Amino acid sequence: MFDPIDFLNYLINGALVGLLYALIAMGFIVIYRASKVFNFAQGELVVFGGFVVWWMVIQTGLPLVVALPLAMVMSALFGLAIERIFFSRLVGESGFAMVMVTIGLLILIRGLILVLFGPQVRPFPIIFPLKPVIIGDILIPRSLLIGAMITVVVGLGLSWFFNNTRAGLKMTAVAEDHQVALSMGISVKRSIAFAWALGAVLSTLGAIIYLSGKSLNFLASDIGLSALPVALLAGFESIAGVLLAGLIVGAVQGLVTAYVDPVIGGAVGSVFPFVIMLVILFIRPTGMFGWRTIERV
Amino acid sequence: MLELSNVEVLYSDVILAVKGITLAVPKGSCITLLGGNGAGKSTTLKSISNVLMTEDGKVTSGTISFEGARIDGGDPAKIVRNGIVHVMEGRRVLSHLTVEQNLIAGGHMEPSTQSMRRRLDGVYDRIKRLASLKSRTTGYLSGGEQQMVVIGRALMANPKLIMIDEPSLGLAPMMVDEVFGVLRSLKDDGLTLLIVEQNTRVALDLADFGYVMEDGRIVLEGNAADLRANEDIREFYLGLNLEGERKSYRSIKHYRRRKRWLG
Repeated sequence: MFDPIDFLNYLINGALVGLLYALIAMGFIVIYRASKVFNFAQGELVVFGGFVVWWMVIQTGLPLVVALPLAMVMSALFGLAIERIFFSRLVGESGFAMVMVTIGLLILIRGLILVLFGPQVRPFPIIFPLKPVIIGDILIPRSLLIGAMITVVVGLGLSWFFNNTRAGLKMTAVAEDHQVALSMGISVKRSIAFAWALGAVLSTLGAIIYLSGKSLNFLASDIGLSALPVALLAGFESIAGVLLAGLIVGAVQGLVTAYVDPVIGGAVGSVFPFVIMLVILFIRPTGMFGWRTIERV
Repeated sequence: MLELSNVEVLYSDVILAVKGITLAVPKGSCITLLGGNGAGKSTTLKSISNVLMTEDGKVTSGTISFEGARIDGGDPAKIVRNGIVHVMEGRRVLSHLTVEQNLIAGGHMEPSTQSMRRRLDGVYDRIKRLASLKSRTTGYLSGGEQQMVVIGRALMANPKLIMIDEPSLGLAPMMVDEVFGVLRSLKDDGLTLLIVEQNTRVALDLADFGYVMEDGRIVLEGNAADLRANEDIREFYLGLNLEGERKSYRSIKHYRRRKRWLG
């Protein structure tokens, strides 16, 4: 029968998973804003970040306090390298060409990971304690709870940065219009490079929260796909909106998985976010908080 | 201050939009560049700011120099840093941002937040209208207000020379006067201006010196007063005949109506 405690459990855990999706979606959005490229390889960036952390902590044996910042730096460099090698040559090319490059990138990074780290399933270091947080009868995985807090802080912080600081508004100007940004003396190339570095760092952060204490192989990139409806639902320009979109998608997914899946006996839970996404896109094509085309009549 | 000599601009390696123009903008002056559609006025400005880069265009011959140093083909960001700001045609506001955010983004080169704030106050002081619009989304402002925003944003970059492309485009006559009022106040404060206009009357009222472009070439140049008195300008750009009355086009054959510049 219906148990309110179970319901709360599903709801809260779903929402926390949703916030994890939101963190990954932020990576999508940061890159999209600056370079107008929808990066299909976002999930691969997560896996790459995960493997870098694994390699440093498990293989090299560095302590976490050293390994995690170092992994962030390495993923930032990786993002910069991607931008420099592939995208700085494509300035002025069609969006379609760039999206095709990201698909190529997806395949390339996947191959690179297989060559560098092999296909085996690796144990990911335990970064957050495994003991769940228990409030009354509600059980919350500690990594998700801490991760959710990090996501909210990072999301609100980035949102403030992009809307209030000079450096952030520079990036926002680039998001609006490359030519105008250029005429204002903003280096568009540098902004795009920074966005890729930031996107890669966010992915690595996502990997740490997602994979803490779990196992890791190249298939972990599926989380990129799960984050997609969150990014689309929020709209591709809004960083703060992605938090709310993540909560909605996660909570609904959690509840549907718990209550509908057993009845139908299928994976409705994993399909449902995409259904929400399609419905929202019918009603508001730019997502809930995306930039709507401003038309003056 | 700014000198162009024999500048040619080529788009996509085939279209010659500017066919060797020479012009000078002395320090503290207000120069206007007149001409019809497709004459190459906007392209000339874009070649100076090198926004041309994004449109697959380039300067193929001639030189552009600013304060004695060559700037043609340079990095647009560096050109702005040197003191030339290009206000592009069509009121290109950052439409999803507020007026204040637009201005702050324009002041991104200021060394500190305090100096940026001072500059911001200076802009609000000069263009009073913007102060009351601070937190409005610029995409929803009226055309005249948007024009004020982009001029204000240009001022935030602390320019020595402002190049402004068709500030009167699509504005009501009253707004045109207000925009040119702002430009006049800038001129009075000693800022150098290069204005591209199709509205010949207001442009020549403000400018000291004018160039007329047609088909990628400069066909006429002179002091604003001389240009205002020039027979061809009066007839073809101001729509007046020699007596200062409106001309009836009904009495002329259509093919004679347009001035053909040879050269």
